[in-house]
Amino acid sequence: MATTDLKPKDHEIDPATGEYRVIAPGQTFKSVTEKIARIVLTPHTPLGWFALFGVGGAVATFLLVALTWLFLKGTGIWAISQPVAWGFAIINFVWWIGIGHAGTLISAILLLFKQSWRNSINRFAEAMTIFAVVCAGLFPLIHIGRPWLGYWLLPYPNTMNVWPQFRSPLLWDVFAVSTYATISVVFWYIGMVPDFGTMRDRADSKLAQYVYGLVSLGWRGSARHWMRYETASLLLAGLATPLVLSVHTVISFDFAVAVLPGWHTTIFPPYFVAGAIYSGFAMVLTLAIPLRKFYHLEGLVTDRHIDNMGKVMLATGFIVAYGYGMEVFMAWYSASHWESFMMWNRMFGPMGWSYWVLITCNLAIPLTTLWSRKLRTSIPYMFFISIVVNTGMWFERFVIVVTSLYRDFLPSSWGTYRATKWDYMTYVGTLGLFTALFLLFVRFLPMIPMSEIRMMLPGAKITPKKVAEAGD
Amino acid sequence: MSGHMNGSKQAAGNAVDYEKSKAAAPETAMTLEAVRAELKSAKGKRYWRSVDELAGSPEFEAAVEKEFPGSAQEWVDPVSRRGFMKLMGASMALAGLAGCTKQPDEPIYAYVKQPEDLILGKPMYFATAMPSATGALPLLVKTDQFRPIKIDGNPEHPYNLGSSDVFAQGALLDLYDPDRSQHATYRGENREWAEFAQELRKKAAESKDGTGIYFLSSTITSPTLARQWKAVQAAYPKATLVQYDPAIAGTSLEKGLSVQYALADADVIVSLDADFLSGAAYPGFHKLVREYADRRKNPEKLNRLYSIDSTPTTTGLKAEHRLGLRASEIPAFAAELAKAVGVAGVESQSYNWTEEQKKFLAAVAKDLKAHAGKSVVISGLHQDASVEALAAAINSALGNVGKTALVSAEPVNPLPGDQAAGFKALVADLNAGKVDWLVILNANPIYSAPADLDFASAFNKAKIVAHLGSHYDETGHEAHWHIPAAHFLESWSDARAYDGTISIVQPMIDPLYGGKSAHHVFQALLNEPGLSPYDAVRETWKPVIKGDFETGWRKALHQGWIDETAVGKGSASGADAQKLTSKVPAPSSKDAIEIIFRPDPSIYDGRWSNVGWLQELPKPVTNLSWDNAALVSGATLTKLGLEEDDIVELTVQGRKVNAPVIVVPGQPDNSVTVYLGYGRSFAGRVGSGAGFNAYLIRTTGAPFYAIGSLKKLDGKWGVAITKSHYQDHRSKLFGGQGSGNNSLEADEAISERGIIRYATLDEFKANPGFANEGPGHEKTDKDNTLFPNWDYKDNAWGMSIDMNSCTGCNACIVGCYAENNIAVVGKQQVRIGRNLQWLRIDTYFEGDLAAPRAHFQPMACQHCENAPCEQVCPVGATVHTPEGLNTMVYNRCVGTRYCSNNCPYKVRRYNFLLYSDFETESLKLMRNPDVSVRSRGVMEKCSYCVQRISAAKIEADKENRPVRDGEIQTACQQACPASAITFGNINDKGSRVARLQADERSYQVLADLNTRPRTKYVAAVLNPNSELQEAPVEHSPAKG
Repeated sequence: MATTDLKPKDHEIDPATGEYRVIAPGQTFKSVTEKIARIVLTPHTPLGWFALFGVGGAVATFLLVALTWLFLKGTGIWAISQPVAWGFAIINFVWWIGIGHAGTLISAILLLFKQSWRNSINRFAEAMTIFAVVCAGLFPLIHIGRPWLGYWLLPYPNTMNVWPQFRSPLLWDVFAVSTYATISVVFWYIGMVPDFGTMRDRADSKLAQYVYGLVSLGWRGSARHWMRYETASLLLAGLATPLVLSVHTVISFDFAVAVLPGWHTTIFPPYFVAGAIYSGFAMVLTLAIPLRKFYHLEGLVTDRHIDNMGKVMLATGFIVAYGYGMEVFMAWYSASHWESFMMWNRMFGPMGWSYWVLITCNLAIPLTTLWSRKLRTSIPYMFFISIVVNTGMWFERFVIVVTSLYRDFLPSSWGTYRATKWDYMTYVGTLGLFTALFLLFVRFLPMIPMSEIRMMLPGAKITPKKVAEAGD
Repeated sequence: MSGHMNGSKQAAGNAVDYEKSKAAAPETAMTLEAVRAELKSAKGKRYWRSVDELAGSPEFEAAVEKEFPGSAQEWVDPVSRRGFMKLMGASMALAGLAGCTKQPDEPIYAYVKQPEDLILGKPMYFATAMPSATGALPLLVKTDQFRPIKIDGNPEHPYNLGSSDVFAQGALLDLYDPDRSQHATYRGENREWAEFAQELRKKAAESKDGTGIYFLSSTITSPTLARQWKAVQAAYPKATLVQYDPAIAGTSLEKGLSVQYALADADVIVSLDADFLSGAAYPGFHKLVREYADRRKNPEKLNRLYSIDSTPTTTGLKAEHRLGLRASEIPAFAAELAKAVGVAGVESQSYNWTEEQKKFLAAVAKDLKAHAGKSVVISGLHQDASVEALAAAINSALGNVGKTALVSAEPVNPLPGDQAAGFKALVADLNAGKVDWLVILNANPIYSAPADLDFASAFNKAKIVAHLGSHYDETGHEAHWHIPAAHFLESWSDARAYDGTISIVQPMIDPLYGGKSAHHVFQALLNEPGLSPYDAVRETWKPVIKGDFETGWRKALHQGWIDETAVGKGSASGADAQKLTSKVPAPSSKDAIEIIFRPDPSIYDGRWSNVGWLQELPKPVTNLSWDNAALVSGATLTKLGLEEDDIVELTVQGRKVNAPVIVVPGQPDNSVTVYLGYGRSFAGRVGSGAGFNAYLIRTTGAPFYAIGSLKKLDGKWGVAITKSHYQDHRSKLFGGQGSGNNSLEADEAISERGIIRYATLDEFKANPGFANEGPGHEKTDKDNTLFPNWDYKDNAWGMSIDMNSCTGCNACIVGCYAENNIAVVGKQQVRIGRNLQWLRIDTYFEGDLAAPRAHFQPMACQHCENAPCEQVCPVGATVHTPEGLNTMVYNRCVGTRYCSNNCPYKVRRYNFLLYSDFETESLKLMRNPDVSVRSRGVMEKCSYCVQRISAAKIEADKENRPVRDGEIQTACQQACPASAITFGNINDKGSRVARLQADERSYQVLADLNTRPRTKYVAAVLNPNSELQEAPVEHSPAKG
């Protein structure tokens, strides 16, 4: 962020660099490394971690139970029916994939735009992306009637010369999501290589030295390594950037390509992407706020980060609001009976409540309050907002999937939808899985990129002499 | 059978081979035949072990070498041995199959197609008939390897011309019902039939004149059985026969039909509580629907139907004008009508008719008089006897008799009588201890006896009770003896159709469980106790069949009826008007709640309780499945402070039963209709426990309607209704959807969505193109698509459905079940909308909730040209064929359900769970071998009966000709009594379907989506009476 033409309040400017302060004053190379590496290398895992991991793991077993029953009995254990043939599985899939988007946005787009404040949060945001994609990727596999034949969606050579049907958006999903997962994992991993080197060097136990040594790919921190690392990061960022837009665009095609009123609309791609980022940032907040508190990282993940994320949410929230508004407008302006009935039914039909939950959570609460800097920097409020937006974005998918389907073209086949305990167990189970995976990440991998934070310190910006003085 | 026959043929062939190669074969040579024979004698695990052992032995290798000289090595190779075992496994399965399905010993004759011998995979067709107290239905049964696999009407028979009904279609599943009783038992122990026969003979001989021997039978319809009974009576004059059928007792049918209606020449039809369009519970249904529908197909020839009824049925809702009256008002109304059309001597009763009712009466009377000789008044079965008499009098006065109402001298019922009186006398005799032996034939009185007679306790006073029944049911459980009854497809008998023609009931299959028929029981008491029903039936018809008996007999079996046995037209009989008036009962008080008893449209009096297809079938009008309910009007519901699905206690004369309550548009106020046949305790795995038993509040005095009361109880019943049921969305709601006049569904269907399009005759004349003009009625633009259009060189299959003819009787749905191996999912699955019927009848109510009009629209896969489903399937499991079918490839389907979401017609059906029964042996025999049985996780839908298309194309190919128009009939088309469905090649401009689709009334549902469906609907044209025009319906066709 260019700062010279602005006159911000003094305490926000780092006097050493003349730039906005992204991390709290007083941090040094050493303190940063100490702080982050110690969380991983400590032999004393906090009891709280065990407690949380226990809870996350226990909730994840719901998923195990639900999936076992699902594979034994079939998708009929869920509430899906005629006409609502897609339910929680697809809602959860879209929700989780959407959440992942913030991680990619932070790591790729903000990197390209040189938004260095992202450095404090990009690692765990990326981890969030990957675990969200893990949870998301589960659903398309389990939601099909015969999951053991799921590989038929892949274009693999076979003796019968049968190919997938390339006109189907579900097939596009396969490519979009698998590409997304691959790029995200590679990007995340490459970003961690310098840190793995640090971990290797600081580890006390043989095992840790060996494992971190292995994954650090011989990182020695030479200038050539750094140069190649920077190039690779930039290239991957370049690759990942279109994915931020394309993955959710493709997922929106699942709906937009269909003939169903409420699905068949051209506004879906941008509106899905914005929604994804909206919910993704909400999830980053949901994770960051407790995390920085628990590990005392307020110095690295500062109120300014929270504030910035609030601003991103405000912006994307308004794009989403525009999407909702445009849906309503087009329902009237198109003069299409299908559209106007769909909209009326979505708002005032028997399941209209879900639309109003969505409006309340996604528009009414966040978009009126996130204007306030005071509220944006209020940690409890932002945590609350993050939960509200996550809920709202889940309901957005619920509204799209269910309220479009349950009353479509022929009134004779109108129905309703009421989730079963297996639906809830599967959904809650993925939350547990996500929590457990995230806790493992926090425990075994550096959750904040030490190398990138160090580069943001005043010492990295000025002369080598000053670096030496800074004491690292 | 097939196994035996192939076996013997092959054995002969092998013998020659064997001779040739004898020198080379070792002394202990085995032929493959011998191996097979050995395997056949073995069972289960031992079989597998034997093959292993056999395969290793040198004899086996020699045998294989001889059988397959070139490939002996392959067979003994361990890997290929697997293949061999598979083959043998399959042949064993076939042998096992053949073992269960033996053709009856007596010669039965194939219908038109007579292969010299059985050709595997090629079905054979046999004519037979389904006996029923409402008139037998002539049938043509398709058998595969001598297993009946599909029942349809006999297309040659003048009565039904190939059409059928839900019961006939469901009878197939009844035959293979795994819950049928399988053993004769005496006090719970397995016995043999012969022991029972001996006991019965002994008892009869001891009694000398038959004193103390009573028979209680369902209505006897077989002339042979009647003849046998008369012989029994001659031998044992004191033996007593009582007939009692809960749905027949008290109706005109117990005395034998005296009037047949002929609607072909009827311009005006008035139904007095006669539900002749919705099912075979009304005698002559198939013929009446056909004649009614024929007049509906051409707007030039439209008839006009008035219905005065106490329960909304498809008849009433199809009618141009319907007046809902409480059941007790109908006799009085009929009397008023009789008086108004000029029947002499009818006095009107003092009753406070409303203005609307008076106006209706006047209009009907005027119309009838204007069409004297070309009109008909049809009386309801389950009404006071005076209604029938009054209808006869009106027909007589109008000169309709002999034209539209044929009065026959000869009753179709061979043993007419007063059933209720007979039954009462039986109970009295039971209580008096006069009954030593009570033999119950195909009846279930413990379940269905009138509540006031306390039959169950009287029953215990008989010394010995024997029960012949297809199921070990409520009566079977109580009786000492239980004898499994043979199904009509398992035993010889005979029956008369509505028109009086005699059909021989030919068995298709030997009794699966050694069942016996009533013929056996009566015959056991006669001089030749071993005389088979076959011989008995032949004996009956020897005097009737003209010419050489054997030739005549064969012909009767071939064609399905005996020539020249239809009853004559009869002559006009003057009704005694004086007698009529005195008998007309006064209507009950308007505030009293009437409870109306009707046989169920799907399971009749309970005899089809265990047929899953019929239980799951959404009943006409209510779309209720798996239950019966107390049907009330919306006003009554509100008045009593009830909500739908509430449990209510129905009370009649102190007898109570709990029932769910649902609203039926058009039900008269203060009137509750309950269907009989539910609440069974021992129906079987399907029927037990479904619904409530309305017989518990039905008495001998009031079998059709009674005064009762309704009380709300706590809780909800949980009924399963297959359509959306938001009756509360009637008003113009926030946001302005709905006109406020109709239910939201009807508003949507009839207005902008253009799903239902119709006009009155005047509107049609003014604007014949009404169906394709105006908003929502757009024609599709063929070129407006992203994908290239399909090109069809030869065939392009299409369907046309006539909305004016369809009466919503459901026969097509059950026919589809049987043809396409559709699974039954159960009530809980139906409740959440997972029923699997490929075809449904969409019912839209229009107009006033109290006096609605309904539109019935059969809806199955539309086989779109631009099919939205095809485009979204990621694995290409639903594809377009070169002939334009939209085909499901079941084994490619992975079950994403995207196709279903994207189907605007929501006609795709998904196996959410494992619904098909892969375990039950008897059901395997029933299935159509040409249609795969779908497993869990697979989408399915209407295929236009692609297996029938393929079969016809193969035949045509063999003869090197194109498929002829009409050669292919889909299962729904074949079943339809109204001939509302037409199928064929739309590329052939001369085909019936192409001509219908070219009709200006023909329209596509949801045409504006440009899906271009192959199924088109012919818009209805109604013929309302201008004097009643404004009521009950207001509508404007094709706005703009």
